[in-house]
Amino acid sequence: MNTIQIAVSLGGLVLSLFIVWFFWLAPKGQMRVSASSSGVQEVAITVKGGYTPDIIVVKAGQPLRMRFTRQESSSCSEMVLLPDFNQSAKLPEGEEVSIEFTPEKPGEYGFQCQMGMLPGKLIVE
Amino acid sequence: MVQDPVCGMEIKPEEAITTRKLDGKEFYFCSENCIKKFDANPHQYIQNSSQPVGSANTGFNPYSASLQIELPIIGFAKEGQPGRALIHSAFNKIAGIERVVANPIEEVVMVEYDPKSIQIMDIVNTIKKTGYQVGGAQKRIGIESIRCSSCVGFIENELKITPGVLNASINLATQEATVDYLPEQTSLEKLNSAIESWGYKTQSAVSDMPVDQQEAAHDKEYRRLMKKFWFAAIISIPVLITAYPQFIPIVRDWSMATLRLTWFGTALLTLPVLFWSGSDFFSGAWVALKHRAANMNTLIALGTGAAWLYSTFAILFPQIFPEGTSEPFFDVVSVVIALVVLGQALELRAKGKTSEAIKKLLGLQAKTARVIRNDVEMDIPVEEVLVGDIVQVRPGEKVPVDGIIIEGSSAVDESMLTGESLPASKKKGDEVIGATLNKTGAFKFRTTKVGKDTALAQIVKMVQDAQNSKAPIARLADTISGFFVPIVMILAIITFVIWFDFGPQPQLVYALVTAVSVLIIACPCALGLATPMSLMVGIGKGAENGILIRSGEALQTAQAIKTVVLDKTGTITKGKPELTDIVIVPQQTTIQKNELLKLAASVETVSEHPLAEAIVEGAKNEGISLSKPENFEAIPGYGVIASVDRRQVALGNLKMMNRQNVVLGDLESLSEILANNGKTPMFVAIDGLAAGIIAVADTVKEDSKEAIAALHQMGIEVVMITGDNRRTAEAIARQVGVDRVLAEVLPEDKAQNVHLLQAEGKKVAMVGDGINDAPALAKADVGLAIGTGTDVAIEASDITLIKGSLKGVATAIEVSRATMRNIKQNLVGAFIYNALGVPIAMGVLFPFFGVLLSPLLAGAAMAFSSVTVVSNANRLRSFRPKLHTK
Repeated sequence: MNTIQIAVSLGGLVLSLFIVWFFWLAPKGQMRVSASSSGVQEVAITVKGGYTPDIIVVKAGQPLRMRFTRQESSSCSEMVLLPDFNQSAKLPEGEEVSIEFTPEKPGEYGFQCQMGMLPGKLIVE
Repeated sequence: MVQDPVCGMEIKPEEAITTRKLDGKEFYFCSENCIKKFDANPHQYIQNSSQPVGSANTGFNPYSASLQIELPIIGFAKEGQPGRALIHSAFNKIAGIERVVANPIEEVVMVEYDPKSIQIMDIVNTIKKTGYQVGGAQKRIGIESIRCSSCVGFIENELKITPGVLNASINLATQEATVDYLPEQTSLEKLNSAIESWGYKTQSAVSDMPVDQQEAAHDKEYRRLMKKFWFAAIISIPVLITAYPQFIPIVRDWSMATLRLTWFGTALLTLPVLFWSGSDFFSGAWVALKHRAANMNTLIALGTGAAWLYSTFAILFPQIFPEGTSEPFFDVVSVVIALVVLGQALELRAKGKTSEAIKKLLGLQAKTARVIRNDVEMDIPVEEVLVGDIVQVRPGEKVPVDGIIIEGSSAVDESMLTGESLPASKKKGDEVIGATLNKTGAFKFRTTKVGKDTALAQIVKMVQDAQNSKAPIARLADTISGFFVPIVMILAIITFVIWFDFGPQPQLVYALVTAVSVLIIACPCALGLATPMSLMVGIGKGAENGILIRSGEALQTAQAIKTVVLDKTGTITKGKPELTDIVIVPQQTTIQKNELLKLAASVETVSEHPLAEAIVEGAKNEGISLSKPENFEAIPGYGVIASVDRRQVALGNLKMMNRQNVVLGDLESLSEILANNGKTPMFVAIDGLAAGIIAVADTVKEDSKEAIAALHQMGIEVVMITGDNRRTAEAIARQVGVDRVLAEVLPEDKAQNVHLLQAEGKKVAMVGDGINDAPALAKADVGLAIGTGTDVAIEASDITLIKGSLKGVATAIEVSRATMRNIKQNLVGAFIYNALGVPIAMGVLFPFFGVLLSPLLAGAAMAFSSVTVVSNANRLRSFRPKLHTK
């Protein structure tokens, strides 16, 4: 092995570790939703290549309204599912669609597109 | 004399200050002030002045300053007088209200008001404040290409002043008007013309047609993808020619210098392919990256991006690359993007077919209804039909909404909803279901459910919800796809390093090509698509066969069912007694069977007992005309007695016969046999002499036996559960061939019995009518409710069989098994594809066979793997149940 090869090997190792850290280990930004005066927790989510915000922290036992707006035509994201709450909605492009329910039990629940390619997480506290 | 349309003053035309012409009519004005008002909103005044005098519907009279409106109030009748006082007091202090008449019985409030000081909307709000809801309909109307926000106000006002409209608002983003209105007082047509008077075309609102809209969106997306594909494909031709000059005549004779020049050309040509045709991959990858996530877009963007960057460096700075490695591969960029985009387009096409079942269901809906209001027949759009309307249906027409027949009779083909191909005969008092087809007669019915509440609308909603639910099996795929992409990225790095360190010369080229191939061949999409696509088709297929599967979970559990528990009454049997036997002993009597039945049935015509009904029905079915009984007497616990055609007829049990001192002789033992067969025997004595026995029984549905045999064939144990005595239960069990009988079970113990069967380690399905059996249905692994008619949405069940037949149970399990098989094929296929594809792309075959996967082939494989998954799911569309309902 010559120096270049050793450098490339080390570079590959560093890059792999970086990928592991970047996608799995690093803490991700969370969005904390506070309830309005009427007691409804409301969050607007943009759907474009993913959900923004994608990690949403809400309180248990209070009604939650998730307002999704899909800003792309790619058919991947045309549905959003919350399988744990038995909720789903079609998201026509450019139109705001609300999903309303009350998360009762604290825990972490996923929301995602139909194929599970675009992940989001709902943390109920 | 003419009238100023604004202030209403009568003036001579020649004295008018000025005139205006609108809609072909001339208007005269008394003052500048009136013209100003008119110019600001001319339609407000025209609308009023073009109303007929004293409109019957609205009570509007142009010559009176006040208007009158009747508002339906929901739930007013329940509250009665206190509610009436509440509404009266609410209007008490409001300016502009001249008279309020609240009628709780008719559930309406009539308000006379001055339109100058109060608007309808304020009146409606006043009523809302009392806690009541004003009835009426809401309709969304699409407005074609409305963009100017100033027009919004004009059209909204135009709609609001249309009589019968409660409120109107326009959403520019969706290009739709949402109108609350009283369908008795206005029609969709009038609303449309109000909008059209401002020069806009109306159309159906997109949000009212979810499937069509999705289809339109899919079409648009398909065209967009195809444009991108063709662009990339056309660019690929010159790129391929210069990439493989050795295979192309003329080009192969070009010198290295010329080739190098053309490579610069292809570098530039492939740029728009990357950033236009492949823009989705890059933007998708970027957004995902911001979320610290990675998906298919990331892989394609990395693969093609790396290929382009390397190639461009190689032709710009050939000197820094080792000998033989400075050749570009722009072909990878354009061909891979073309293929993957094409794959996406084809996948979209195939996806469209998966929702076919819903489209079929929605297509069943009638478009118009012939409603009779105020003795006038009119064709109106089905959306405008109200609860309580009288609808006329002629032979060959579709029943528009759900309701109850009030006049006429017919045979109605309900096969589209229930799968039952024999037309159901309907008479006065029977339910009719929207979207079914009227065959022979004409009838009128009163509507009971419209819009979103109709059986069809509920079925559609249930099927759609189920199609979008998750099957537990999908969770594995979801978990894997969460790790999939970063792992593939790491594998690509490892591939690069290994080829760079240990590969043959030119190492850099090999390392790059293999790494790019790994990135491109990996297809997380196939994994993600595997379950939802099959679920969509499978649940749709169930719906087509009259089986509503509530969720993916129910579908998955149903395939593992080992024991089916059937409730007896109403599930295996018809749930209604029927005449089964007439027994006479010729030695004892001279009376014939028909005469016996005639006399017995005649007595029973006045009895209200369900058994009596069965006898009367039985006689009618035989074509026997009945006489009128006299001196009818019912003796509770014994039977009935009356005289018919001057003969005394007694009908009842053993106690009755003893009471009448009738000698039974052989009849007593014959009745024992009938009772042993699960029937209810009744003795008949004529003029004090024993004449015979009439037996009734809750009979078995025609196809129960066949259905149970089919379940046996599928390797499923069939258990019958009933509250009846063991004797009756065993008799029925023998007839239909169930394996086990749980008799004399109290209704509240049914769930416990299901639990005991589960304790034997089997997956248990419970089939019942969904009302008495709710706890048992909920307890079972899969609860199947038999629903007939409009009560399709049965809450406790996982699966609802909308035709009464037990065959649905077998078909439901069949659909479930077929769908799960399909899902497994998809998942296994997707796993194997990735598990083989990625290592081959890494080059594991190279040391043994010298085979290396070209990135072009990797792109093609990736593009078609997801198409294959969707196509395989579409194969399910050809599913046919083995048991056909006749």
